[in-house]
Amino acid sequence: MTQFLSLLLNGLSLGALYALIALGFVIIFKASEVVSFTHGSLLLLGAYSIARLSDRIGFLPAVLAGVALTAAAAFVIERVVINRLRGAPVISLAIVTIGIDIILLTELIRRIGSDILNVPHPWGGKSFRIGDVGISQNRLIATAVAGVLIVAFFLAFKYSSWGVAMRASAEDGETAALMGIRLGRVSALAWIVAGALAAVAALFLVGAPTPGVSAAAYTVALRAFPAAILGGLDSTGGALVGGLLIGLAESFAAGYQDQLLFLGRGFGDVVPYVVMIAVLLVRPSGLFGTKELTRV
Amino acid sequence: MNQDTLKRGAAVLAAITVVVAAGGCSNKAQDSGSSAASGGAGDVQTDIGVEGTTISLGVLTDLTGVFAALGKDITNANTLYWKDNKVCNTYDVTLNVNDTGYVPQTGVQLYSGMKDSILAMQQTIGSPINTALAPEYTADKIVNFPSAWAQTLTEIPGTGVVGATYAVEIANGYDYMFKQGLLADGDTVGHIYFEGEYGANGLAGTQAVAKKRNLTVVEAQIKSTDQDMSAQITQFKAAGVDMVALTVAPAQLASAAAAMQAQGLDVPILGSNPVFAPGLLQGPAAEKIKKDLYVASPVSAFDAHPDLLKEYQAAYPDATPSLGVLVGIGMSEIMKQVLDSACDNGNLTRQGVLDAFNALTKVDTGGVVVPIRGFQAGTSPSLQSFVLQPADVPGGATVVADAFEGEFAADIAG
Repeated sequence: MTQFLSLLLNGLSLGALYALIALGFVIIFKASEVVSFTHGSLLLLGAYSIARLSDRIGFLPAVLAGVALTAAAAFVIERVVINRLRGAPVISLAIVTIGIDIILLTELIRRIGSDILNVPHPWGGKSFRIGDVGISQNRLIATAVAGVLIVAFFLAFKYSSWGVAMRASAEDGETAALMGIRLGRVSALAWIVAGALAAVAALFLVGAPTPGVSAAAYTVALRAFPAAILGGLDSTGGALVGGLLIGLAESFAAGYQDQLLFLGRGFGDVVPYVVMIAVLLVRPSGLFGTKELTRV
Repeated sequence: MNQDTLKRGAAVLAAITVVVAAGGCSNKAQDSGSSAASGGAGDVQTDIGVEGTTISLGVLTDLTGVFAALGKDITNANTLYWKDNKVCNTYDVTLNVNDTGYVPQTGVQLYSGMKDSILAMQQTIGSPINTALAPEYTADKIVNFPSAWAQTLTEIPGTGVVGATYAVEIANGYDYMFKQGLLADGDTVGHIYFEGEYGANGLAGTQAVAKKRNLTVVEAQIKSTDQDMSAQITQFKAAGVDMVALTVAPAQLASAAAAMQAQGLDVPILGSNPVFAPGLLQGPAAEKIKKDLYVASPVSAFDAHPDLLKEYQAAYPDATPSLGVLVGIGMSEIMKQVLDSACDNGNLTRQGVLDAFNALTKVDTGGVVVPIRGFQAGTSPSLQSFVLQPADVPGGATVVADAFEGEFAADIAG
C-alpha cells in the first residue's frame, strides 16, 4: 500500500508539471494553429537562465527574470517567424518550429556542456512525509503552484477578454477577425503565456528529486506532448487530464516494472506513447478534443 | 619490455621522466630494410606518424558536446604529460587534437582527415565513437585508448581499456561493501542501470556477485534521458533493499539520492565510475551523496597525488579539475610504455606499436590508474579497482580503498 501511495503521489506531482507544459502546447495550438515543437528548448532556456541568474541576483529575482526571459523568447519566435508565416500549411509551421527548437537547443546544450547546473531552491532536497509515504517538498510545492496556475488560467480563459478573444479566434479565425479581434495579438499573447508556463514547470522539474539543469531536461517536454495529444490538442481541460494520466502511467509503470516484466524492461519509457495511442484508437480527437465535422 | 615501477604520489610525472631517462630503452640497431629515422633515433624503423624525432598522436575528444568538461580535462592532462615526457628519451610527442562534439559521424570524418599523419590514437572519447571507428582502427592497426570501460571495447584489436571493465569494477565495489559490513550474504540489492552496453556490463557484475553471495537483485532499467528516479526508489523501498547499485550518469545519481532522502531509504549506494561528478556536491542531495556513496573506480583521486593536482592547476589555473585529469595522465603513461617498448624493439611502425601493445603483460602507472595486466581480446585489462568517496576536495572525491582485487574479479574478468 505504501508503494502504491508513493507512486500515486509521485505520479500526480509529475502529472501536474506535465499538465503545465501541455497547457502551453494547447494554448499555442488554439491561438495560432501551430503544433509547437519549440517547448523542449523553451523549457531548457527557462531552467538555464534561472540557474545562471540565481548566482548573481538571488533565487526569487532569478525566477522572475527567467520566466520573463522565456516568455520573451517565445514572443520573439512568434513575432519573427510564426506571425510572418500566417496561413502557411500546418505541417510547414510545425517543421519550422522543429528547426527553431534545434537551433535553440544546440546553443543551450553547448553552454551547459556536461555540467549539472543547480538551481538553489530555498527548500532544497527537504522532504515531506506522512508515515512511510514521502515526497520531496519541491514536488509538493510544484503541485500546488501548478494547481493554482491551471485554475487561474481556466478562469482567465473563460472570463477575461483575452480568453474570449482566443476562444473566438480558435473557433473561427476569419469571423473573429471580422468582429475586430486582432488575431496577431491573441497569438502573441498565447506564446508569451506558453513560454512563461514552460519556465515555471522548468523551475520545479530541475529540483529534487530530479537533478539540476542538464541537457536531458529537454526530453521532459517531449513526454508532455502525448499528454496534450491524448487530451485533445485543442482542449485545455484535456491537457490537464492528459498530463495527470501520463504522469501516473509513467510512475506506476516504472515502480511496478517487475510485475510488468512480460512487457519487457524499460516499459516506463514508452508508456506515455502507449497510453496516447490507446486513447487515440478509441477517440481519434483525443479525450476532450473537438471532433472535426466535414460535410460532403 | 620497459617496466617502470614508480613511487606513488609525489612527482609522478617527473619520476617517470627520470626513470625512463636512466633505465629506459636503448635504440637497438635493427635489420636492414628499416627506414631509419634521422636525429638521435638511431635505426628505429618507422612508417606513419613519425617525422624526424617527432611522433604525432591523434586525439578525438569532446570539447563542445555533452562531455566537454571531461574531454577538456583528459586532453589537458594528455598535453601536460607529453610536455614533460619523451618516448625513448628521444622522440617528442605532439598531439593532433580534434573535437568531435560527441558526434560519431564527425569523429569518423575527423579520423579520416588525420589518419595519414598519426602513429596511434592517444584518446578517443565515447563508446559510440569508438565503436563507429573500430573497423578503421583495426584496418589501420591503430593503438587507441578510450575513456570508457565497456566489455565490448576490449574486443577491438589495439584498443586498450584503461582499467577494469564495468562488470569487474562493480564486483570489486561489492567486495568492499561486504568487507566493510555494509552488505551481507542473502541481502537484497536494487540496481538501476542504463539500457545499452554500459548498463548491461555493470548489471552483469551485480548478477555474478549475487549468484555467489545469494543476493536478491531488483533490477530497474532506464534510459539515459530519464531524470526522475522516484518510482524506481519506491520500488526498491517496497522490496526492502539493503543497498542501491547504480550504473548510470551523475544526473540519475543525484535524482536517486534525492528520492532516497525523500522516501527515507537509508541504505548505502555503490556506483560505477561514471556516476560521479564533482558538481553533484553543490546539489540538494549533496549530504546523502557524501555520506552514503561509494564509487568503484579505475583511477585514484587527487588526495593520493597532490603534486599532480598542483602541476595541473599551475598549467591550467582557470580549470576546475575532475578525476578526468588522472584518466588522461594514466592513459598517456600507458601509451608511453607501449611506445617505449616498440622503440626498444626498434620498430616504431604501426605494426611495431601494435605488437608492443599486445605484448604488454604488466603496466604500472605509479598508482594513477589500477595496475594493468595486459590487453587480451575480450578480457578485462585489470582485476583491480579503487574505491572512492565524495568529499569537498579538488576532484570531489578521496580514496577510501587503494587499488585491490576483490574475490569476484578473476571469475568475471574472462
